[in-house]
Amino acid sequence: MKVGDLIRETGSALDANRGRSLLTVLGIVIGITAVIAMTALIDGMKYALVGQLGLNRARLVYISCWTQYGSVTASDLEKWEQDLPGYEFITGTSYGWGEITAEGNSANGQIVGTYLDYFDAMDVNLVEGRLYTQREVDKGSLVIVIDETTARTLYGTGGPYTGKTLKIGNYDYTVIGVTEASQMTSNTSYMPFTTVNTRVNNYESMDQILGYAREDVDPDELAEQTTEYLRTTYDIDEEEGNGYVYVYTMASVSRQLDSTMMSFQILMTAVASISLVVGGIGIMNMMLTNVTERIREIGLRKALGARAGDITMQFLVESVTLCMAGGVIGILAGYGGAWALTGLAGGLMGLDGIQPVITTSAVAMATGICVGIGIVFGYYPARRAAKLDPVESLRYQ
Amino acid sequence: MARPVIDIRGIHRIYETEAGFTHALRGVTLTVERGEFLAIMGPSGSGKSTLMNILGCLDTPTSGTYRLEGLEVSSLDDDDLAEIRATRLGFVFQSFNLLPRATVIRNVTLPLVYSDVPRAERELRAWKALKSVDLPEEYYEHKSNELSGGQMQRVAIARALVNDPALVLADEPTGNLDTATGEMVLKTFARMKRRGKTIVLITHDSEVAAWADRTVHIRDGKLLSDEQERAYVAATTHREASA
Repeated sequence: MKVGDLIRETGSALDANRGRSLLTVLGIVIGITAVIAMTALIDGMKYALVGQLGLNRARLVYISCWTQYGSVTASDLEKWEQDLPGYEFITGTSYGWGEITAEGNSANGQIVGTYLDYFDAMDVNLVEGRLYTQREVDKGSLVIVIDETTARTLYGTGGPYTGKTLKIGNYDYTVIGVTEASQMTSNTSYMPFTTVNTRVNNYESMDQILGYAREDVDPDELAEQTTEYLRTTYDIDEEEGNGYVYVYTMASVSRQLDSTMMSFQILMTAVASISLVVGGIGIMNMMLTNVTERIREIGLRKALGARAGDITMQFLVESVTLCMAGGVIGILAGYGGAWALTGLAGGLMGLDGIQPVITTSAVAMATGICVGIGIVFGYYPARRAAKLDPVESLRYQ
Repeated sequence: MARPVIDIRGIHRIYETEAGFTHALRGVTLTVERGEFLAIMGPSGSGKSTLMNILGCLDTPTSGTYRLEGLEVSSLDDDDLAEIRATRLGFVFQSFNLLPRATVIRNVTLPLVYSDVPRAERELRAWKALKSVDLPEEYYEHKSNELSGGQMQRVAIARALVNDPALVLADEPTGNLDTATGEMVLKTFARMKRRGKTIVLITHDSEVAAWADRTVHIRDGKLLSDEQERAYVAATTHREASA
């Protein structure tokens, strides 16, 4: 029996039982929908986070450090860089909050004071203008890089915004660049580190220290090494309360996220497995009915020269096709369902703009599951058909 | 002399049923030459269906030998028997056994699916087979359940002929047809015979058997010649009359 013949036989057999076939594959459809919706959602979330944090995020090491000698200073960082060669650079940031006003409008947002290194570690995309220069950092110039959201709030739609002025506290600042607004960084403006400390906050502080690991260095090991180094250098013992060191990497944050997703994944996998097993039993039941209904046809085929293998193949291909049809419907429904769920998940987790991601591997996995179910649950009915005695089958009423 | 198409010797077939053993065939020996049209007659329960199944390689004898065109088939396994059925045998059934939702052409090409005939050749062969049973061309694309009984049986005969078999086996081919339609079907068999086909027809109707070159009778699992049959009938009638 040729492949073409098998396909033709399957087509006409399923066509004859369209309604019943459709109802029977519902279990498979639901199972595959769950699988696809789940993976699309999880992949979408991961993708959104990777996108927001930048592709270099895995190399980032976040350092928080308070010592009994006071806040860490820029010269401390230079010393760390020398003592910890695993870092390409270590850069400090300070945060300022304030009301930004311009042309009678006002916007609230975070102002991040940075050195130039910061932009090497974080992916900040400019849509117009430029970033500040080393000279401007050194001088503490009154310049600011705002994001599109803030720009629209202050000046309305329609750029360019570069060259306009705005007011924070008592000082006027010149807008020199505008960044793309992303979900995690909306309403964030950037200023030279020194400007934030001297003009916005009016006090010295280093709120967040960012280390950028060299490419061949394991960030987690480097983080441990850093913790040890800081404890020894500044004689810190958290239990005595004479300081505080906390070092973590983006890689560990992402692992944490994975473990949070895991519980969700387990739940959905359980739902999907139950539904797929029930669906598979449904398929088996329908195939057994098919075999009984077509006993005479099977007898005839055997009389005309069909071997047991031909009959087995015919019914196996039928059940696999049935499952695959359910799989296709499930993939489409799962993708649709993922869109519906992102709204919900976005609301719950405070993340918007997540888009479900359908990967080829997810589709391949779903297809594989369908083929597997078709074979596992179709085998028994197919063998039963193949073992029928032609003489008795032809006489069957 | 050429090898006979059918050469069976000393065939026994014993079934094991819940009620015990049934001795369906008790030492049947039969030869059918190429181009012969043979009728096997017998009442129900005589063993004629069992003989038919063995001749059609659907069943194997408990003992004895069966040579089909010289090939010993009584000891072949299921897959080999399937191949013999696909390439050397054609079946015509009492209840036609067509696939109801399939077209006439597809029904006729069905055996070719199992004998690995290339697709391109299948329709041509089906066409020829349908021509030889005189089914008008306009029916070729009809679904088989749209045909009359006589047309269905002719489609079934075309199906039996399509793989150019050594032997055509017909089991009560006119059993479900009225006399006029049955006669048309029998004429088709007669025409096949004139073209050199070997045909074995099973029936309980002596008028149908009369179309054949030769008739053998089967009673209680044993073959009887015409004379033996007449003697048997006469004896039975005599017994009944004297009782």
